[in-house]
Amino acid sequence: MEVQVVADTTEIEVKGLDFYYSGDIHALKNISLSIKKNNVTALIGPSGCGKTTLLRCFNRMHDLYPHNKYAGEIIFQGSNLLSRETDLINLRSRIGMVFQKPIPFPMTIFDNIAYGLKLRGISKKSELAEKVEKALHHAALWDEVKDKIHASAYELSGGQQQRLVIARALAVEPEVLLFDEPTSALDPISTAKIEELAGILKNDITIIIVTHNMQQAARISDWTGFMMLGELIEFDKTDKIFTAPSEKLTEEYITGRFG
Amino acid sequence: MTRAQQRKIEGGIALTLSTLAAFLGLFWLVFILGDVLVHGIKALNLSLFLSDPAPPGMEGGGLKNAFIGQLLITLFATMIGVPVGVLGGTFLAEYARGRKIARIISVLADIMVSVPSIVIGTFIYAILVRPMGHFSGWAGSVALSIIMIPVVLRTTEDMLSLVPWTLREAAFALGAPYYKVITQVVYRGAATGILTGILLSIARVAGETAPLLFTSFNNSFFSTDMKGPMSSLTVTIFQYAMGPYEDWHAQAWAAAFVITVFILFLTITGRLIIKWRYK
Repeated sequence: MEVQVVADTTEIEVKGLDFYYSGDIHALKNISLSIKKNNVTALIGPSGCGKTTLLRCFNRMHDLYPHNKYAGEIIFQGSNLLSRETDLINLRSRIGMVFQKPIPFPMTIFDNIAYGLKLRGISKKSELAEKVEKALHHAALWDEVKDKIHASAYELSGGQQQRLVIARALAVEPEVLLFDEPTSALDPISTAKIEELAGILKNDITIIIVTHNMQQAARISDWTGFMMLGELIEFDKTDKIFTAPSEKLTEEYITGRFG
Repeated sequence: MTRAQQRKIEGGIALTLSTLAAFLGLFWLVFILGDVLVHGIKALNLSLFLSDPAPPGMEGGGLKNAFIGQLLITLFATMIGVPVGVLGGTFLAEYARGRKIARIISVLADIMVSVPSIVIGTFIYAILVRPMGHFSGWAGSVALSIIMIPVVLRTTEDMLSLVPWTLREAAFALGAPYYKVITQVVYRGAATGILTGILLSIARVAGETAPLLFTSFNNSFFSTDMKGPMSSLTVTIFQYAMGPYEDWHAQAWAAAFVITVFILFLTITGRLIIKWRYK
């Protein structure tokens, strides 16, 4: 009963979002959607449709590059995260991100995960050790690395590195985790592990995932948004999108007629 | 003669010429190193390191003053040159990445690398030695540091540029501010490359004579006072090799041997680090 209540809460509300890359490239056009708490939301669409651009709005990654411009609102916990006053350091610790390729830092496994914690001012050794272990358990990596936690993170396999990066993001206890095609560089077994992990993680956090792989979206997401040329063509429950889409374009895309 | 035969002959000529050229270069290198080795080891003894020069014409004595002087001048040059070079390179590769100013400074640094070192010596003479009224160890260190800075700066810039941008994004995504991204993540990724650049730049300046002639000059007595003229190995080698005494020549050989070994050591260490890093 309680699960149902939680599942219906909106975590992030996107209202009329437009985004321009420098040089006035209109990459996102009037996007509105709501991301439900403790759900997995997938963004699909052909290459260049703006799904990654949209994902990178949620943690303001676009701010790293000059002349990018947002318009509209993204309401997260009562305030517009696109506003000038948003503390990006705080925002990025609450909305974490996992990238396409696994990107461990050039340090030990332990230090990789402790990094975000240290940024947040946690320096007590026992507390760090405890939180690092918890994050590794959370990302289903602990059993594989517990004996070599002070080895370089580069010694891990690609799939393990991706789970390490997930653990690193989880360590700071974010409310939302953004996945940018997290399995496109991984083998099928590692992919299955990450997908399974996403299913478990949504008990605690909200997940938004960009994927090229429609089967993946169908397998792991509760909600799916189909995007094309910077517009959100359709946004609905995943079941509905994949069985009875309302838009002709969506149907054509998921049946493989283009893209 | 067929085309194939002709190609074979042409290939043979090219191979022979380039092999000869390589051996010609190598010959002189081995000749010089061998000469320094033979004469240097002969003149090498403990008092060379432990005692100061004997009065001209007297037997014995050593070059303790020059060893210590060289060490101090190079040490302080490193302490000035490395931070400036590394921070400058960081500015170019990070804060000014892709901007016009970065390209301009980069090109200027490349030009500075090839400025004759004697020009830098006379420059420091004009802006430091003349106003102070006398030669000094500090002036020597500053001159050497100016030679180091562009080398360290360009290596740092190149090494930082090699660090994938995605690594920085990953750190930003955890909420790290830019200076922490650079100091805690990017520097780690580029550490061995930057360290190698620093070692090679020390090797570069350790063998310089011309900039020291105009700045730290020389001192026949043992001195650790950076404010006064200071002896250095390279200037001493220059002076002793030109001098009239047989044992000066011997000591110059020994000093040349020691400084060659030191530079060889730095260079080989630098290469080993590169090899170890990229194997």
